[in-house]
Amino acid sequence: MRREKGRRPRKKVCSFCVDKIESINYKEIGRLQRYVSERGKILPRRISGNCAKHQRQVTLAVKRARSIALLPFTTE
Amino acid sequence: MKKYELVFIIKPMEEEALQAVIAKFEAMVTNNGGTMEKIDRWGKRRLAYLVKDFTEGYYCIFRFTGTPATVAELNRVMKITDDILRHMIVKEDE
Ligand SMILES: [Zn+2]
Repeated sequence: MRREKGRRPRKKVCSFCVDKIESINYKEIGRLQRYVSERGKILPRRISGNCAKHQRQVTLAVKRARSIALLPFTTE
Repeated sequence: MKKYELVFIIKPMEEEALQAVIAKFEAMVTNNGGTMEKIDRWGKRRLAYLVKDFTEGYYCIFRFTGTPATVAELNRVMKITDDILRHMIVKEDE
């Protein structure tokens, strides 16, 4: 489908599926950091392009990383 | 018996004292029906936010098998230990 105006949104692919990653660990903060905004919020699927399964894993991993101070809850 | 992973942050202190804290909790795993599999010292890290007014802490990870009782006892004691800034126990493969 093509929109009348504006850019056509690029088809997003789940980077975890591409890399064939089965599970996401809360200790891999280098990777997790790509899925949180500058303010520390978890990016929604429409931005991250993750599939539902991996988005759930990202959410859980980010929350765990936050609880042991590996990632911030918020950043001012 | 299930596999667990315990992450805890010890407040900054001297190496010897650090060793003592780790040894104390290692013993607690064994004394409560658990078996230690691996101790992984991450070392000092900057914390993502202030915890009890500390900006950094010493991260340590235990991999062990145990029962819910092992986990409950570790949780209880970690919570009341001043030297522990934060801790978390998760089942492995979750
Ligand atoms: Zn995926």
